[in-house]
Amino acid sequence: MENYCKEFKIQKNDIGNAGTVASLTKRELKRRGLTKDFVKTVTIGIYEAEINVVIHSYGGTCVVSIDDEFVNVTFKDNGPGIECIDSALTPGFSTASHYAIENGFGAGMGLPNIKSVSDEMELTSSKEGTTLHMKFNISGDSYES
Amino acid sequence: MRVNNILTNINFELLSNESGLNHEVKSFFASDLLSHVMGNAAEGSTLITVLNNINVLGVASLLDMSCVIFSHGVKVNDEIISKSNELGIPILRTKLNTVSTILILDKIGS
Ligand SMILES: Nc1ncnc2c1ncn2[C@@H]1O[C@H](COP(=O)(O)OP(=O)(O)O)[C@@H](O)[C@H]1O
Ligand SMILES: [Mg+2]
Repeated sequence: MENYCKEFKIQKNDIGNAGTVASLTKRELKRRGLTKDFVKTVTIGIYEAEINVVIHSYGGTCVVSIDDEFVNVTFKDNGPGIECIDSALTPGFSTASHYAIENGFGAGMGLPNIKSVSDEMELTSSKEGTTLHMKFNISGDSYES
Repeated sequence: MRVNNILTNINFELLSNESGLNHEVKSFFASDLLSHVMGNAAEGSTLITVLNNINVLGVASLLDMSCVIFSHGVKVNDEIISKSNELGIPILRTKLNTVSTILILDKIGS
């Protein structure tokens, strides 16, 4: 199938539109005939990362590319960065604002969830911004029979 | 069980329009934290929550959930209702707390 590549802009605190990247990617994965389980796995990863950019960063972008072998997703934001990556990856750790918590976020399970659903995850961060890359392997079993 | 069956019990009111009332309720999931819902709820499940914001519908749609039930009689604004109509995921409300809601749903299902 033809390769897919799409870039999205994500605005700070735009909670109403959070989930757009996840839902459009979900649609594309379904269109490609991938299984419900595979689609769900990718959707969970993207949703959590998307929410993080919305609630923790100054805004950024996301690039989703899909070929026959992989789904690659990269989120890049404009800061303020993650102070300690090890703590951020600890289940339950959260610095979410009151606003985010009121909206049902801030359980501190986002990054741990991303790590467990993805086949590869790479997180780098400085004051200038955070980059999160996740990769999902597509195999024969990933397609609806 | 279908969403329709839940509505036969007087404790539940329908807030959205009629679309999706024939959805099969494959299981139930209760949580007020979206990451827990996102990471654990199954496709076709019905969510019971007090979390009354638009993202609940976003998550329900991403997971292909069958219905959302707001417990504790929480306020549900028009934005949420129109989102539910747009997505075809029905929303119900009950004055019962979450535990009582689940106990009653279990009775309706059996
Ligand atoms: N894009 C980001 N920019 C800045 N900080 C982030 C970002 N993503 C995650 N973090 C930090 O990592 C913590 C843990 O993230 P996560 O596991 O998703 O939990 P939660 O979002 O519920 O707080 C956040 O509370 C925040 O401090
Ligand atoms: Mg998060």
